Amino acid sequence: MIRILYVLYGMLVLGVLATAEYNGWSLASINEVKNVPRSVRDNPGSYRSVYGYYHHYTGGK
Amino acid sequence: MNAGPPQSSAAPAQAKALNCPHCGASLTLRSFNNAVTIVCSSCHSILDAKDPNLKILQTFEKTVETDRPLIPLGTRGKIRGVQYEVIGYQRRTIYVEGVPYSWHEYLLFNPYQGFRYFTEYNGHWNDTSTLRGLPTIRPGIVPSATYLGERYRHFQTAEASTTFVLGEFPWQVRVGEIAKVSDYISPPRVISSEQSGNEITWSMGEYMAGRDVWKAFNLPGSAPQPVGVYENQPSPVSGMTTSIWLAFSALMLALVVILIGCSAMQRDEQAFVGDYAFNANGARGEPSFVTDVFELKGHTSNVEVVTDTNVNNSWIFLNYALIDQDTGHAFDFGREVSYYHGYDSDGSWTEGKSKDSVIIPQVPPGHYYLRVEPESDPGMGFIRYSITVRRDVPNYTFYGLAFLALLVPAVLITWRSLSFEHLRWAESDYAPLMGGGS
Repeated sequence: MIRILYVLYGMLVLGVLATAEYNGWSLASINEVKNVPRSVRDNPGSYRSVYGYYHHYTGGK
Repeated sequence: MNAGPPQSSAAPAQAKALNCPHCGASLTLRSFNNAVTIVCSSCHSILDAKDPNLKILQTFEKTVETDRPLIPLGTRGKIRGVQYEVIGYQRRTIYVEGVPYSWHEYLLFNPYQGFRYFTEYNGHWNDTSTLRGLPTIRPGIVPSATYLGERYRHFQTAEASTTFVLGEFPWQVRVGEIAKVSDYISPPRVISSEQSGNEITWSMGEYMAGRDVWKAFNLPGSAPQPVGVYENQPSPVSGMTTSIWLAFSALMLALVVILIGCSAMQRDEQAFVGDYAFNANGARGEPSFVTDVFELKGHTSNVEVVTDTNVNNSWIFLNYALIDQDTGHAFDFGREVSYYHGYDSDGSWTEGKSKDSVIIPQVPPGHYYLRVEPESDPGMGFIRYSITVRRDVPNYTFYGLAFLALLVPAVLITWRSLSFEHLRWAESDYAPLMGGGS
């Protein structure tokens, strides 16, 4: 019974994997923005990224 | 430990009423002329059932209050389709390093089928009957016994003494009687030898769930929960480890097939590449810019953006927006690329990488451009970097996650199986060394 459940679980995992690969899923943190004005193309500074205030790491050991 | 009762011939199914010569209490003889000894439940005298006057053979201290049979004497139940009656009950005890371990044996009788046993230890039950033949013993580091083609591994040998008796028995039972008992296991079965003097009796037990005993005898309440792992208790994952790993191997093969198939079908094509430089020293005005428009073909799929820089003990942060010029739909993300290295008392060290990659999910086909806004610390000088955009690339993270998702259950089942066997054999003569090294 456990073996059957494991095989079914494995097939589900592989199914999700194939779906993820086909549809191009990703785990990256991406913010989607709609209706970005066409003027950005001529004036890139008119658009501000949500990551613009990111606190940058300036370290090293 | 299991012991087999002596064989008996069939007898009429009727009880005979007698009286104890010691205390006068009434006795019920359930196995009729099969009984050799009978124990008075009132005064606990062991009586000679073959003697017309029920000669007293032995008396022992009354401990019935603390040792009440879980299945009362006289209870009837069906075992393998045959009705049996509980006619005798005894407690056997072994001492291991001075610690007593006791189990209980219920003698069952059917006038046509004879005798069989139930044994019970800490909520673990065995249905036991005498062997018709002799097993073949093979000595070794772990001796084994072969019976009817099945190999049983030696588990334990100990001297067991009878410490309590009740009811009737088809042999000369005595409290204090000592026998050498050896168990050989092949879960869910166990074969046991019991040597008393020159006489050796072999029996076979098969593990039973307490609830099945309760059901067979229609006992009130529920069976006591078993404690620990018993010698011949079948593992819940018994024999499953090999098949799970076989299934794992098959699934791994399927994973490789998916990898090859997806790799063959995916476009994995370069959609854009550009080289840039950012002057972190004297950047004035708006640092952001946009790239040329490029086309992302095919169905909705991922896009990989690779940033390759020349950062050296420095960093650059790039605010990215992948914008569909037709719909205005943007994928906004930021990437920090930093690479540091040096030498200290621990030796040389490095941190970070000068190259970065990110996969953007589910980007519809269309015409896109990138808005890029670089940032860095003033004084970093010129930082050169290239941006490469690839369409419909394999995401190996998912393959790694799928591998782990398939591996973890197989490892857990194996671990459970091993720990179950570890607990089983911890109670044997071959106990693996424990933490204390005892």
